[in-house]
Amino acid sequence: MHPATSPTAGTPAEPSHRTLAPRRRFLRGLVAAVVAAPLLFGAAACGDDSDAGDGKVKLSIFWWGGENRAKLTEDALALYTKKNPNVTFEKTWQANQGYFDKLATLTAGGNPPDLFQIDDNYLSEYAERSTVLDLNSYSDSGKLDVSKFPKSLLEYGVVDGKLAGVASGENTQGLVYNKTLLTRNGLPEPTTGMSWEEHIAWAEQVTKKTKVPGTQDPSADYKAFWVWLRQQGKDLYKGKDLGFDEADVTRWFELWKGARERGATPTPDVIHEGNASDVTKQLVVTGKAATSWVWVNQMPDLKKNTKDELGVVAYPGDPSGQWARAAMYWSVFKGSKNRDVAVDVINFLANDPEAVALLGTDRGLPSNLDLRAKVSETATDPAMKQSIQVETELAQKFGQAAQVPIKGHSKVKSELVKAAENVQYGRITPAEAAAQYVAACKSAIV
Amino acid sequence: MALTTAPGRTTRTGSPRPHATRRGAGRDRHGEGLAGYVFLSPWLIGLMGVTAIPMLLSLYLSFTNYDILTPLSEVEWVGLANYERMFTQDPSYWHAVQVTLTFALVAVPLKLAAALGVALLLNKAWRGVGLFRSLFYLPSLLGGSVALAIVWVNMFNRDGAFNSFLAIFGIEGLPWVNDPDWALETLMLLAIWQFGAPMVIFLAGLKQVPSELYEAASVDGANRFRQFWHVTLPMLSPVIFFNLVLETINGFQGFTAAFVLSNGTGGPVDSTLMYTLKLYISGFTDLEMGYASAMAWVFLIAIGLITTVFFSTGRFWVHYSDGER
Repeated sequence: MHPATSPTAGTPAEPSHRTLAPRRRFLRGLVAAVVAAPLLFGAAACGDDSDAGDGKVKLSIFWWGGENRAKLTEDALALYTKKNPNVTFEKTWQANQGYFDKLATLTAGGNPPDLFQIDDNYLSEYAERSTVLDLNSYSDSGKLDVSKFPKSLLEYGVVDGKLAGVASGENTQGLVYNKTLLTRNGLPEPTTGMSWEEHIAWAEQVTKKTKVPGTQDPSADYKAFWVWLRQQGKDLYKGKDLGFDEADVTRWFELWKGARERGATPTPDVIHEGNASDVTKQLVVTGKAATSWVWVNQMPDLKKNTKDELGVVAYPGDPSGQWARAAMYWSVFKGSKNRDVAVDVINFLANDPEAVALLGTDRGLPSNLDLRAKVSETATDPAMKQSIQVETELAQKFGQAAQVPIKGHSKVKSELVKAAENVQYGRITPAEAAAQYVAACKSAIV
Repeated sequence: MALTTAPGRTTRTGSPRPHATRRGAGRDRHGEGLAGYVFLSPWLIGLMGVTAIPMLLSLYLSFTNYDILTPLSEVEWVGLANYERMFTQDPSYWHAVQVTLTFALVAVPLKLAAALGVALLLNKAWRGVGLFRSLFYLPSLLGGSVALAIVWVNMFNRDGAFNSFLAIFGIEGLPWVNDPDWALETLMLLAIWQFGAPMVIFLAGLKQVPSELYEAASVDGANRFRQFWHVTLPMLSPVIFFNLVLETINGFQGFTAAFVLSNGTGGPVDSTLMYTLKLYISGFTDLEMGYASAMAWVFLIAIGLITTVFFSTGRFWVHYSDGER
């Protein structure tokens, strides 16, 4: 009970209290109870805390994904508990939409998960605000073994010199095409290394022959724009600034304006539908275009949404514009009481042969190269095999890792969609859209 | 509460010793006031904890650069910078204001007109009128539901049900929800369609109009239209006023449908960027919660002003039959 109430309750015959009417005393007790109740609940919540001193740890972990990912992850975590009986998990997962809202809200409420999944869209936002733990000391001491990671993949988790996230897997941009549709119409498949012009000409042919638009228009897609920029010797970001200028954006929009005029792409409203990031809305699976611009590790999920056979190649242009991107990361909350355990779990998920075998390529190709080779040998899912094969081939041609997107990236992405769609619907010219876009980006990243 | 009960008690006891009674009443007033607060406490705790304190906090945050991730103790005071940016440097803010005003100015009057029209039809005593009342009320029960918005998106797609219907007449429809010129109109239609709640209030209001007024009007030779204009509308004006205020506030706060239709982006090309959606994106996607708080306060004040305008103009057209304003 609340300590303040016990003296009163314990000495009812005390003279000074005799003047109080019984009802009043009752009310006073009631007030005390009302005031004390939240304290009690609060205390109860504290008692439930993870580190109770007996070595038992309950680690909270949060990720986005579908049911399949949940099952794989739960299996891998169960394996960890089996090997470390003192550690149990409080698992929370949900769809990607709304995930970062929730993560931000949890952080604001002072109650973020110990261990959480994050991607390059938000890594800098969290790292620059010191929300995530710098894992460098753990990798130096060997508690976090990153020796088998490709160097560029590891570096893609570094923000301002701090190791903010550990890649849970590697992926890269992939151009997915409807193989069934092409074969049925006797059309050639796209290949890695095709120039952008060749890709558009090919797409035009596809439209003419199949009546299905040859390619989704990626002018609103930041990852396509990014690869294209890198092939022009530019980049999305350069330090704390933009890595491109108005002229680059104009050229990019004009490239696709030309493609639309040639009939290589769908109508603006269909392009708009395909601009949704949701896998099920990609035009290649809804049958509204022959190709879509995705991440290679999305292949198995895409395949589940269509009966047609799919193929995947690199984005057009020189494939050295692409890089080993961390599909997503594991990060540890800086204020976590269980940070050592959390890091150990990351280490386990990345380097334990059994765990990696369980997880497969769901979060990208395994970061540990030795284990990646093993997973590739034993993969049975054809879509998974395909993505492994393509990514392994591309890995030979990858360029230097890009810089992790900076603070303000979410706006740089959404403003590109707005500017590109404005051009697609024919409301403004590419040059006007480029000017607006660059201005909007500049005010977003300051 | 305490003030009203205490004198009542004094009268009832009718005590011959005024001095002692006053003392007694004073003590009781204190006790009963306390009891009142105890019984109010669940609501008070809710008001303070869930509404008032967070609201005041957001007022403070609107003068800071709070970004959700930084602890509150470390936020920086930026003065009026957020307000300045909103009014002078953010074109998409003014765009959102424009979208919201357009939405409210079109959807609210049409919704009220639909509600009143249908209420007039359903005010007659014919067979099955109860069923129709329920049917017309049904859409507003589904309210701001996400499921309804998803259905709407699918109905008004390029290959949606509405275009299939048009195709029967040989008309090729547009991709309504994916067309920046029509997406907002599609949202307006959804809002208008949910006219059930004001309709039910109108119905109740229509039942209150004394039938002798109509009898007197028809004796004087007024036709149906004149009866509507000179009897129904004035008698209904308090109800119209109530519905207008409520629906305007509702209209300004529309969020769910716009969020679902645009995947939370306000697209295509910001055509459905309602004020509340812009606020949400600033706060949760761009992590600019200080800025979003400033937006929320401007919104609150704007809605307050609009409501004040309604109340101050109400005296010129709202007719209360009992003579009170």
